[in-house]
Amino acid sequence: MKTKRIIALLLAVAMLLAITACGANTAPEDKKTEDAAKEDTTPADTSTETETDKEKEEQKADEKDPVEKIELIVFAAASMTETMNKIKELYEAANEGITITYNFDSSGTLKTQIQEGAACDLFISAAPKQMNQLDIAADPEINTEGLDFVISESRINLLENKVTLVVPEGNPKGLESFDQLAQLLNDGDVFMAMGNSDVPVGQYTQKILAYYELSEEDLASAGKITYGSNVKEVTTQVSEGSVDCGVVYATDAYSAGLEVIDSATAEMCGQVIYPAAVLNISEHAEAAQAFLDYLTGAEATSVFESVGFSALS
Amino acid sequence: MGIDWYPLWNSLRIAAISCVLVFFLGIFFAYYAAKLPRSVKGILDVILTLPMVLPPTVCGYFLLVTFGLRRPLGILLAQWGIKFVMTWYGGVLAAAVVAFPLMYRTARGAFESFDETLAYSGQTLGLSNSRIFWRIRMPACRQGILAGTVLAFARALGEYGATSMLIGYTPGKTATISTTVYQLWRTNDESGAFFWVMVNLAISAVVLLAVNMLEARQKKAVRK
Repeated sequence: MKTKRIIALLLAVAMLLAITACGANTAPEDKKTEDAAKEDTTPADTSTETETDKEKEEQKADEKDPVEKIELIVFAAASMTETMNKIKELYEAANEGITITYNFDSSGTLKTQIQEGAACDLFISAAPKQMNQLDIAADPEINTEGLDFVISESRINLLENKVTLVVPEGNPKGLESFDQLAQLLNDGDVFMAMGNSDVPVGQYTQKILAYYELSEEDLASAGKITYGSNVKEVTTQVSEGSVDCGVVYATDAYSAGLEVIDSATAEMCGQVIYPAAVLNISEHAEAAQAFLDYLTGAEATSVFESVGFSALS
Repeated sequence: MGIDWYPLWNSLRIAAISCVLVFFLGIFFAYYAAKLPRSVKGILDVILTLPMVLPPTVCGYFLLVTFGLRRPLGILLAQWGIKFVMTWYGGVLAAAVVAFPLMYRTARGAFESFDETLAYSGQTLGLSNSRIFWRIRMPACRQGILAGTVLAFARALGEYGATSMLIGYTPGKTATISTTVYQLWRTNDESGAFFWVMVNLAISAVVLLAVNMLEARQKKAVRK
């Protein structure tokens, strides 16, 4: 009986430790890997307070130290995952004391998280729309909520991407072009994955559908379109062969090793511009600006171009 | 909103079919698991209860890895025209997998608290095993069985994680109430999301009320 009680007690203690370790937000080092991927805004809110307090404490302590420890929080479009991770390695190696924490997701989700109070130093979106929605200097027709999060002087157009039509291995429907896809969609003969209307690549796809005068609503209710919540989800669905084709960026196609059938022209969906800006809620605006400057430099540019981005600045 | 009622029909259909499947499978395993030798029983129990303990996304991942259209089993089934990925009956698979442990455990609990002497009396009277099972054991355990069925139905109706990963969100084809609410919220259609939340609440309330009434009536009958 005694052994059973001891074991039960040990298990209870172990469980408590596990819960506290997972639940509490401790040093910024923990946030790096785990919290970077979370979508929920609530954890981000609570961690904002503990984290900024810790950073303030650290800054006070570090005023005496030669190297200031700064954590930069970068919200970037999901399509930048692979390249930004590579750049992080390069930047952190060259800049002691700087740690970069990423939050990759659809730009629509990121914009909502920023709006709801998430901590963020630098925002890179996959379309001007989401950046405009946060920029007080932008057209009020787009920034309908009058949000002011962007430091306008820091805003630049960082990259250009291409919207592409991709197919699973073996190209089951023998697709050859967007033109042919449009015809097959009209005939109801193909199953396509696209981003939903909150996702920039989904918005570009909507433009392409409109260009071909196809009704997205009709296609959707006929069950010919399936929606992903970000471009990586769409890419995975194509890779898994769950759909006949998908519309993603050229960079995602490259990173996932998918066959690109066709690229959309500027006439079909406009230019795919990725704006970047430092946010006015940033606790480290200077460091954020320094990182943004690095992103326009030669090293970062070669990383971006290696997967198919075009650098604009 | 409410023009497209497909999610309602789809969710109910998926929940109902999964519930029926899980009812028979759960009872089957609960009954025969009790008869297995100790060593096997323990391992089987863990495997059968696992989907209840695992996060739904983990279950969804396993289902994708097993039935994905690039995987051996998925390719084989596809040759017979069966695709669990991106189809509504894939939703039935996902819901059944996560709801199964609920039925299994509850049924097992009910069977284990069954007074075996009733079964023995049946045997001495010359009844076949299946008659004993369906006419003596099941009615005696019906409260536990009913509870398990309700839990399984509720779980199947509310399934999101595994469903979303396996069958995605295709309006008019694989959309369920839970995936629809998520997508409407993601695309900032607050009123649409709220509508479906209310629909789901209404269904759940009706189901639970019906079950309560049923239980109350049975208790009355037993007392008499």
